[in-house]
Amino acid sequence: MGLTANEFTVQFIGTLIKFAIVAGIALNIPPVMVWAERRIPAMMQRRKGPNRVGIFQFRIYGLMQSLADTIKLIFKEEVVPEGAHKAFYHLAPVFAVFPAFLIAMAIPYGPDIQVFGYTVPLSVIHVDVGFLFIFAVSSLAVYGVTIAGWASNNKYSLLGALRASGQMISYEIPLGMSLIPIVLIYGSLDLNKIVEAQTHVWTWGVFLSPISFVLFLISMFAETNRAPFDLAEAEGELVAGFHTEYTSAKFAAFFLGEYVSMFVLSCLASTVFFGGWQVPFFDVRSLDEMFGFVGVGALVGFMSLLLKAAFFMWVYVWVRWTVPRFRYDQLMNLGWKYMIPLGLINVVVTAVILAAVRF
Amino acid sequence: MPDFSLLLTHGIFHILAALITVVSIFVVASKHPVKSAVFLVIDLFLLAAVYASLDSHFVAAIQVLVYAGAILVLFLFVIMLLNLQPEQLRGLKFSVIESGTLLISLIGLLIMIFTSFRGVQTGLGDGTLDVQAIEAAGGNTYVVAIKLLTSYIWPFELASILILLSIVAAIVIAKKDKKVLTSSPSGQS
Repeated sequence: MGLTANEFTVQFIGTLIKFAIVAGIALNIPPVMVWAERRIPAMMQRRKGPNRVGIFQFRIYGLMQSLADTIKLIFKEEVVPEGAHKAFYHLAPVFAVFPAFLIAMAIPYGPDIQVFGYTVPLSVIHVDVGFLFIFAVSSLAVYGVTIAGWASNNKYSLLGALRASGQMISYEIPLGMSLIPIVLIYGSLDLNKIVEAQTHVWTWGVFLSPISFVLFLISMFAETNRAPFDLAEAEGELVAGFHTEYTSAKFAAFFLGEYVSMFVLSCLASTVFFGGWQVPFFDVRSLDEMFGFVGVGALVGFMSLLLKAAFFMWVYVWVRWTVPRFRYDQLMNLGWKYMIPLGLINVVVTAVILAAVRF
Repeated sequence: MPDFSLLLTHGIFHILAALITVVSIFVVASKHPVKSAVFLVIDLFLLAAVYASLDSHFVAAIQVLVYAGAILVLFLFVIMLLNLQPEQLRGLKFSVIESGTLLISLIGLLIMIFTSFRGVQTGLGDGTLDVQAIEAAGGNTYVVAIKLLTSYIWPFELASILILLSIVAAIVIAKKDKKVLTSSPSGQS
């Protein structure tokens, strides 16, 4: 696997560019989502929502509201509670943001492109065990929450952290279970290979393994601590859960982590179940030859993935404003007594069917 | 022409090795148990990075998934809930029976490992266990899976039975005794 100097340069600069693009997108997700999270329910409930903040008379549907919110959050006074474990208190937001960004780097955003004769994959971290990498890193997200709750020296925070981490650990199992049939069907742990196998619409994961998709969708909400599973920050019971004691930019960091992990799971759902960068009834990779310019196909594929991810982000908001919050025991019952057994049955049934088909 | 990826791998390995050494010292040296646990998480994460730099991504991912992601979360939980103070830790001692049991089970474990793994061939031959050979054999995950489910099937199954046993044991220990609950009048505790 020796790289020549030229190829090394191409890959290195390519990685830097890809890193910048992905990080830029990920950093811009929360402001847009905060705006969307107020405009979408407003639309559903026939209200107006924030529509005033703009630059002079250009209101752009109130999109500048999120800029104003961000500035407000960052310039707020920062209060560190007395008796907090200082080092861990400051470290926890980093732990909360880091895994989400690391997973965002492993998603394949488009087909491989040829640059100066070298094949460049369109994911920043390209590993042949993409799935396991994503699970490994997402299991680290628990630390941000746990340490934040413990270090703030607040009972509500600790309770919220315990709830959140219990929930995240529990729902990691059905999340992993739901993806095992996908790995069995496509025969690879490499996310890009899985996307390449979904060329036709009928080979999309959602049609080949619909139960997996349902399980994944439910666990997605629990993994990101979003409504209806946002028990970690149930206002009526726990003030604000693990981030009760966090103010200004550190609070914003938790926000950032939550929204980026939402985005990442949306991307993963589109990649695994909805063909990733594939466009229905059409091969994206043929666009390069059609236009005679390298990268057109990759760009269209990238847009396709972003659109699919945007749909899932919409679903996140939609569900939040539709379904009431669960009780904690209901959440645990659903996870351990229904979803994990269903996931196991799904794995066994898929394996048996595959064995029957292939032999 | 120098092999750039090899140079990079070596450089990264030395940086990681230095970091692991420093963090490991912190694990043992820090007085607060939570600090030790967090440093251990970082330590295991860096160790996974070493595996990744050796191109064995599967082992790296499993390392983070199992140790840093699952086991140490439970460690941290227990430490946080017990709210241990640094000086309380020194009082921990094993009785003679406890340490005897520990010693016997450790020896048993060693015997089991030696008997299970003796005579198992890697299938790739000596000296060919490098990146190219593994790639040619079908990739990291494939080779590990084939080995695990053919040559190492008995150790694998033994380990899963052991884990199942410990789960059952944990539930038995954690379960409340129903007789005690029913015999004591309600409202009195």
